[in-house]
This record gives sequence, structure tokens and C-alpha cells, in this order.
Amino acid sequence: MTFYLLKRLAVLLAGIAVAAVVVFAFMSLLPGDPAEIALGVNATPEAVAALREQFGTDRPPVVQFLDWSGGLLQGDFGTSYVTSSPIGPQIGDRLGVTAVLVLGGMAVALVLAVPLGTFAAVHHRDPLGAVISAASQVGIAVPAFLAGILLVYVFAVQAQALPSGGYVPFAEDPGEWLRGLLLPWASLGLVQGAVLTRYVRSAVLDVMREDYLRTARAKGRGSTGALWRHGLRNASVPVVTVLGLQLATLLIGAVVVERVFVIPGLGDLLLNGVAGRDLLLVQGVVMVLVAAVLLINFVVDVAYHLLDPRLLR
Amino acid sequence: MSTLKVEGLSVRAGALELVREVSFAIAPGERVGLIGESGSGKSLTALSLMGLLPEDVTASGTARLGGRDLVGVPESRVKDLRGREVSMVFQEPMTALNPLMRVGAQVAEVMTLHGTPRHDARERAVALLDRVRLPEPAQVARAYPHQLSGGQRQRVMLAIALANGPGLLICDEPTTALDVTVQKQMLELIDEVAPALLFITHDLAVVASVCERVLVMYGGRVVESGPIREVFTRPRHRYTEGLLAASRLTPRGTRLPTIQGSVPPAGRFPGGCVFRNRCPHATPTCEAAPALTGEGHAFACWHPAG
Amino acid sequence: MRGRANAGLVAGGALVGLVVLTAVASFFWTPHDPTLVDAARKLREPGGGYLLGADKFGRDTFSQLMVGARTTLYVGVVAVGIAAALGVPLGVIAGMTPRGWLSELIMRVNDLVFAFPALLLAVMLGAVYGAGTLTAMIAIGVATVPAFARVARAATLQVMVTDYVLAARAAGRRRPAIAVRHVLPNIGSMLIVQASVSFAIAILAEAALSFLGFGTRPPTPSWGRMLQESQELLFSTPRLALWPGLAIALAVLGFNLLGDGLRDHLDPKLRRVEER
Repeated sequence: MTFYLLKRLAVLLAGIAVAAVVVFAFMSLLPGDPAEIALGVNATPEAVAALREQFGTDRPPVVQFLDWSGGLLQGDFGTSYVTSSPIGPQIGDRLGVTAVLVLGGMAVALVLAVPLGTFAAVHHRDPLGAVISAASQVGIAVPAFLAGILLVYVFAVQAQALPSGGYVPFAEDPGEWLRGLLLPWASLGLVQGAVLTRYVRSAVLDVMREDYLRTARAKGRGSTGALWRHGLRNASVPVVTVLGLQLATLLIGAVVVERVFVIPGLGDLLLNGVAGRDLLLVQGVVMVLVAAVLLINFVVDVAYHLLDPRLLR
Repeated sequence: MSTLKVEGLSVRAGALELVREVSFAIAPGERVGLIGESGSGKSLTALSLMGLLPEDVTASGTARLGGRDLVGVPESRVKDLRGREVSMVFQEPMTALNPLMRVGAQVAEVMTLHGTPRHDARERAVALLDRVRLPEPAQVARAYPHQLSGGQRQRVMLAIALANGPGLLICDEPTTALDVTVQKQMLELIDEVAPALLFITHDLAVVASVCERVLVMYGGRVVESGPIREVFTRPRHRYTEGLLAASRLTPRGTRLPTIQGSVPPAGRFPGGCVFRNRCPHATPTCEAAPALTGEGHAFACWHPAG
Repeated sequence: MRGRANAGLVAGGALVGLVVLTAVASFFWTPHDPTLVDAARKLREPGGGYLLGADKFGRDTFSQLMVGARTTLYVGVVAVGIAAALGVPLGVIAGMTPRGWLSELIMRVNDLVFAFPALLLAVMLGAVYGAGTLTAMIAIGVATVPAFARVARAATLQVMVTDYVLAARAAGRRRPAIAVRHVLPNIGSMLIVQASVSFAIAILAEAALSFLGFGTRPPTPSWGRMLQESQELLFSTPRLALWPGLAIALAVLGFNLLGDGLRDHLDPKLRRVEER
């Protein structure tokens, strides 16, 4: 296990390093000089050159990359060419908001999908099981931002029970914080829950056909007890893999949902950065999101190995 | 006084009758073989005694084990008997154990389920693994199934089956999936530890080495039954005769006799004698179903051999 | 069970057919010019030649939906085309030389691309080259390459151990010949299924990108942007969000059902648990 963990950790770090190169190279392709953009068209060449030197963009790309990635290691994302404010703290603030959004959405998805998927599998011959399957198929077809708009219409416009958008920090007012997050969580969670329900259902169906479930019943368990004691952990092995993929999907979905609900998360920061041509900011946020996806994959792989002793060597 | 008494057991899936009017008894300590080709209904017979029939498949008739009914009673009552009064070892050891659970815990589970305190169950699990002759039982108890060979896993299954001292052990082709060398040890072990035994197989040699009495099934019915020596040396039913002829070792160069045709799919057996469409001795008489008759050595055939 | 699977195939095919027909029809006829701005028709209620009403610029919603179908299919076809054109050869090569360094390299790069979701790629491309339909298609296409490569590799691995491929190799056939004669025809059905599923994902991605302003640019109608424009009017004119939302959901549902149905229909061995 230790060997596996170290090996997998090395793959993770290598992945992040390569991703940093890719992101940096990509953003450096930009036609246009940050110094020129900052000073506008009427700037004198001398002023541009001076600002270039101040930004450090007059140095060779390799040096710039080493400078940038070296800073990343210490949590320093550089200083914005546009707003002249340090990027790291901004990302730090926004990351927390997005993390709460994503984890809450995942929790909603799990709370929905595990019971519904299991129920649909156990009752796969009954009409109700078929209804759940059909409903999940429809749920998959609805993108999170559309679900968000629908939820706003029902709960904010019609029922006027919840805010249609905006974000109140937890420290300011926990109650409002929660009220503001309910619809965003639901929009992310309902859609991912539909996807997850299908996976849970097929994983539980697979497990229900396993010989060891018959063995459990031969020991004296009822079919429910056998499924509970022997089935669900086995079914969780494939589901965990999907969960990781979904967490990554949710992270990206959150970018869009933040826009729907006007939540100041990483997605909002990213889109503002693009709109304001704040390249270093975009570069930093993209890097954080990519690293998060890689980290999630890493955690899933490790969890997978912890769940299934057959993979331990 | 018999351990198990089965009378008029039928198994059906919807309109299909898969097992019809099977009756037999097993005395304490007796080893009874149940033989037949695949599709003869032998596994369904066993599963119906365990209350483990698949969904949509139902059993009727009676089966009493030590005064308790096994068939036609609600699942909640039958499940208390499973693993305690009657146990079963299945054909495929590779998939029968939970891959994510340690072997010792899986053996202990069957005891805690039926009331043994957890701590005692853990200890006895190791003792049981020792009893089924697994070397280093304490170590095996901590292992996961994938760390054991097929033969070892089947021994674990046997330990689980024996844990609560059941009155009857059912084995469904327990050695078919094992290497030949391991088969013999496994058979000896089963013979040694089984209280009363219902042993299902298609392998006549295996039956002959373990059992005292044999039931021959074909088309969902018992077509012949009796002491193994008598049935195997002087078969009366034409199906048994064909089965034995097909399995006998023949001198080099002679043709191996086989039963003509093949086993029909479920529900496609002829009325009357189920074997008559493959039987070389069939006459119009066979359109009526023959009864299983005879004391000790019984058979259901209008034109018996010998 | 067979009947239900076929029902899914028929329903999926019908929905996809509807989207395709609408898109084709929009080339020849729409009730009104979908891009014509007319203050007099601003937020016009449905009826009187305006089946679904008009938006805040007075553009006919129904006409916009029709042309939006064209945009959706266009993006989907190009994106899935890019993904298949890159992913399938890579996957087949990786599957035919499972132990080679090339295979290892392909799968590693694949894993890396997998960490760049379509939306991030589109945002990066948009930041560098400016947002538009083309950058959206390329971003979605490149992000979908790993899915095709993985399916192609897995399917190729299966085909490579079949008797007929072993026989062909024993007969001394060269790898490219085996790939063309044996591998591609046999993994075709899985690739078609993957294409259908990827198409659904591409529609979702395009809608999200247009919603964020990184997809199709105005004035070309797009379902995602229609949704984005309708959001501020959700309190007064919710129908503007309803129709494009429904269109997206039905198109995605159609391609998903089609993919599942094809999976069952083309290869019973691949039948998923749900339909057993």
C-alpha cells in the first residue's frame, strides 16, 4: 500500500507539473502584451518598456515560467497586471466558496442517489423502480444551469421562499448564507444525483446477482440483510470511481452555476478575469481548477484501493 | 426416524413445472447422492430445500427437517433454519465468498447471526478453519478470499456450512470447479465431517466414492433410487442404464455408448415417461407416466432393464 | 426487457430525428427572420404568427429555436468529429501495442487532457483567441478525445485476443492491415454508441459555454445564449427560459436514449445492467 501510495503521489505531482507547463505555455501564446494592454494605445514605447520590466514580461519565457511556478509552490500566484493586487489571496477566498458549493452539491447528489438507486435496483421489476430509472434519464438531460434557472423560477419567483441569487458570507449571517446556498446546491445536486442514481442502480443490480449474496442468505440472512451487510460495500467500489469523475464535473458545473446565482466563487473570478483580460489571474484560476481535478482523481484512486483489498499488494 | 423427509416436492416457474413430485428421505448420518444431467432439476431441488429459489420460481409439497417445515413457510421462518439446521456448499468457490471481507469474519458471521456472541464466534471460526484442515487457520482467518486458492475457499465454505452443527449438509457439485488432485481430498473431508448429506453431482464416480444411496433425476423427476451398489451394478431404469453405460471406461477402440438425443429444455419433456423420446425401448405404454415403485431399490419404468 | 430497450431506441431516434429535421428545415424556412430586431414586437405574447412569442429584442422565439437546433448540431458534429478523428486512431494504436512505450505515452497524455474539462479549455482558448463557435467546438472536441481513446483502446484490446485476429497475425499480416480489416469493423458499434453519448455531452457543453458567453456569438441564435438572455426576465417572462431549456433537455435526452438503445441493439454482449 505504501509503495502504491508513493507511486500514485508521484503521478499526481508529475501531472500537476505538466499541467502547469501546459497552462503557462497556453496563456503565453496570447497575442498582445500585458504592458501595452495596461497602458492603452497612447503609451510611449519607453513607458511600455518600463512597465514590461516591472511585470517581468521582458524576460525569456522559461525564466518567467520558473518564476511563476516557483511562486505557486509557496502559494504566490503573482500580482495582477490589471488590478495590481496579489492574485493568491483572491483565489484563496473564492476557493472556499466554490468548495462549499461543490461539496454541498455532492452531498445532495449522494443523499438522493444512494437510496433511490438502491431502491430502483431492488425493485427493478416494479413500476416504481422503472419510474425512478426513467426520471434519472430525464434528470441527466438537464444541465445544472438550466436546473438552476428552473429552481429560481419555482422557489424565488413563484414561491418567493428563497433568494434568486447573491451570496452572504457565513460569518456575516449563517442563516442567510444557508438560504442563499440551498438553490445552488440543489441545482448541482439534482443533476449529478440523477447521473449517480443510474450508477448506483446498476452497481447494486450487479451485486445482487453475485454468488456471495446467495452465500449470505444461505447463512440465514434475509435478502435485505444480505444486501445491506454484503452488497452495499461491494457496490460502492464502482460508485466511488464515478463519484470522483462527478466531483470534477461538479467543479466545472459550479463555474456556470456561480454565474446563475451570482456567487463569488472561482468560476466568477475566472470569468471576470477573462472579461478584464487579466491573464495572470485566468492562468492562476485555471491552474487551481486543473490541480483540483487531478487531486480528486488521486483521492478516488486511493479510496478505490482502500475499499477493495484485491487491489492491495 | 429420518433427518429430512421430502414429499411431493414440485418446483415451478410460472406455468413451467421444473421439478415434479419428488419424494425421498435422508436418515441421520446417511450420505445420499442426487445425480442427473444439467437441466434435470437437481439443483432446484436443493435450492428449494434452502429456500433460496430465484425470484419467480416457487416450490410446493412438503419437506420436513427434524420436525420443521422447509417448504411453503414464510421466508422469515426459513431463514432462521438456513445456516443452522441445514447448510449448503455451492459449486463455484471463487465467487461464493465476499471479496471485501476477511475469511474469519465470514465464518464468524454465520454463528453471530444465529446467536453466538461475537467474541466466541471469532474464536470458533479459527477452530472451524482448522477442522476443515486449512493449514495455519489463524492466518487464513485474517486473509481475504482472493489470497486463497479455489480448494482453500471451498474448505472455507465448508467451515461456514458446518459452523452451527446443522442436521443436514447439502453440497451442489462442490468439487466440479476444483483441480482433480484437490477434488479427492475435498470429498474425503466432506465424507468425514458431514452430519447427513445430500450430494448433488453429475459425476457418477464421485457419487460412488461418497454416497450410500443414490437418487437419479431426469426431466424434473426421480426416475430411480436405491442403494448405490445395487443401482450402479443393476440399473433398472433405461435412463440410468444409459447414463452408466456412457460413463463406463471402455477398452480402447470400442465406441463409447451414449444416450441418443439430448436433454430437452425445461418444459419440453414429453408427457408420460419423460425419457421416452430418447429411450430405445419406448413403446406406446410409455405415454402413461410410470410410478416410482419398489422397496429399497425403486424405479419408474415400464420396461425396466435386467 | 427487449421491448423496453427498443422503446428507448425509438424514442431517442425520434427526438434526434426531430432536432435534425428542425435544423434542416431552418435552412429553407423559418416563420420570421430569427435575428431581426424589432422594438415594436418586444416581448410579444405568443399567437398571431408568433407561435412562441418574441424576446426582449422582438426576435421570434420559434424561429430562434429552429436555427438554434442548427447551431447545436453543427457544434456537436464538429466537436464529436474532432474527438473521433483524434481519439480513435490513438486508442486503436494503444490497444494494438498494449505494452509499448507509445501506448503508455498515449494513455498518459490522455489522462492529462482528461484534467482539462471542455469548459476550461474553452475559457483558455477564448481568452487567447477570442470566444466563438470555433473555439467552443475545438475545446469540446479536444476535451472529448480521451473518452474516444479509452473506448477504442478497450474495444481493441478485446478484438486483439480473438481467434480471427490471432489467425491473421499468425498468417503474417501487418498491423495496419489488421487494424483496418479486423479491428475497426469490430469496434465500430462501440464507437457509434460513444459518438451518440458524446454528442449529448457536447450539446450540454455548448449550451453552458453559450450561456457564459464563450460559445456561439450573437446574432447567431443558440439555445444556451437564449437561456442566458432570458434569465433577467425570469420574473416577468419565464416562457423565454422554458423553450430553449426544453429544447436542450429533449435533444440531450434523445442522444442519450439513442446511445443506450444502440448499445443494446448493436451488440447484445454490451447490454448494460439496466436493461437485463
